[in-house]
Amino acid sequence: MNWLNDNVNLLGLLGAAAIIIITVFVVGKYIKQIKNEKSTGELVGEDWDGIGEYKNPLPIGWSLSFIGTMVWVLWYFLIGYPLGGYSQIGEYNEEVAAYNTKFESKWANPDEQTLLGMGEGVFLVQCAPCHGVTGDGINGKAADMSRWGTELAIVDTIVKGSKGMGYPLGDMPAGMLDKESATAVAAYVFEKIAKAGKSKNSDLVATGEALWPTCAACHGQDGKGMSGSSPNISNYGKPEFVVDVLNHGKKGDIGTMPSFNDGRLTDIQKLAVGKYVNSLIE
Amino acid sequence: MFHWLEKNPFFFAVAVFVVIAYAGIVTILPDFMNSARPVVGTKPYTVLQLAGRHAYIKDSCNACHSQLIRPFKSETDRYGMYSLSGEYAYDRPFLWGSKRTGPDLMRVGNYRTTDWHENHMLDPISVVPGSIMPKYTHMFSNPANIETAYAEAFTIKKVFNVPYDKADMPKLGTYEEATKMALAEAKPIVEDMKSPEVKAAFARGEIKEIVAIIAYLNSLK
Repeated sequence: MNWLNDNVNLLGLLGAAAIIIITVFVVGKYIKQIKNEKSTGELVGEDWDGIGEYKNPLPIGWSLSFIGTMVWVLWYFLIGYPLGGYSQIGEYNEEVAAYNTKFESKWANPDEQTLLGMGEGVFLVQCAPCHGVTGDGINGKAADMSRWGTELAIVDTIVKGSKGMGYPLGDMPAGMLDKESATAVAAYVFEKIAKAGKSKNSDLVATGEALWPTCAACHGQDGKGMSGSSPNISNYGKPEFVVDVLNHGKKGDIGTMPSFNDGRLTDIQKLAVGKYVNSLIE
Repeated sequence: MFHWLEKNPFFFAVAVFVVIAYAGIVTILPDFMNSARPVVGTKPYTVLQLAGRHAYIKDSCNACHSQLIRPFKSETDRYGMYSLSGEYAYDRPFLWGSKRTGPDLMRVGNYRTTDWHENHMLDPISVVPGSIMPKYTHMFSNPANIETAYAEAFTIKKVFNVPYDKADMPKLGTYEEATKMALAEAKPIVEDMKSPEVKAAFARGEIKEIVAIIAYLNSLK
């Protein structure tokens, strides 16, 4: 290995040589001065056992930087670091504010694909521990997201009841209708109330409409939940419906879902989760 | 005074220490006193929660799970509001932990529920694919140690003036009262659970460790 081929090595060696030469020169100068020169100057008055002291004024530059340091210390102590503005929490707040500004400007007008991607990310972190990575509810440990949002799930809800959303009108008891009527109502709700597309049992829509008053008693004629007294089912199968569940949480028969309105998710993230959950419906 | 100090090297050393540490003493200590006070809303643990906390310590949950959320956006996004020192006022000992093999549990009560904990303790992989947490099935058969938990609560009430039995604070009362309250507190948790073993034991008036630890985890908010 040729040490001198490397530029950094070469520079380092040159620097070392320069330091040695300068050191030898400077030390030599001072040694010579100690040997040959006699000190001169004006003595101050005192004399301690034959030892005196020259009048030796401070260099201007040194005095200025000394005074400057004292001024800086006062500033630092009172206004700068310890007693003044800095705090860890302040730092945190700045970090959050900067992040939120960036988040809002970056995702101000997200397209469908972006929302789905964002929703998937949030779902995997916040929802997957209970609903499973694929959203299948892990063998009945939580709601099955592929069934949720379909007519079948409406039938389930009518037959088994629904509880724990915390609406003023309270829980929905099980067995409001038998399975056949429930299927008809589900078709009606799916097609006419939620306007979620063509029902699989389109022929039952008229029957369902006739049975609708049972539901309308709480959910309102238009299914909108009578201004917050009960869940708005007119947006069933839409992202907004997911957002509603996220905001309320649910203490159902399978288990308890905590609400997500403690600031952990922003509105746009909730909507994104809604979009993603809707994309899981089979 | 100075003359005396010069003749007593030990006290001189003490005096030197006080002089050097003076700035720290006047700025740091009062702040410690302030921030160590319980945050509004912080309450001592109930007996059932304490029993769960004992199980938590006994099984070394704190070896893998921390209970301290630092003030960084990346942490608060995942675990919730950062921790304040006053929130640990009734933690003896605190369970900050030093390593996160598993996630932080400081506010796990906000985003996990009884049924989830039950599934997770029985078989962690069933709810968290790829989890390396072992199964804690013995918690479903071990009884919760209510007696020791009561003894601890009683002791800290007497010795450290922990505000049990004060207005808006958990009641402690006598051992008999405390056992009754623990049973009452365990009831809704057992109702939310599925394990027939735990339910049968509760019907006989026994509280299993799993119920106590779920009560504890649900109280972490």
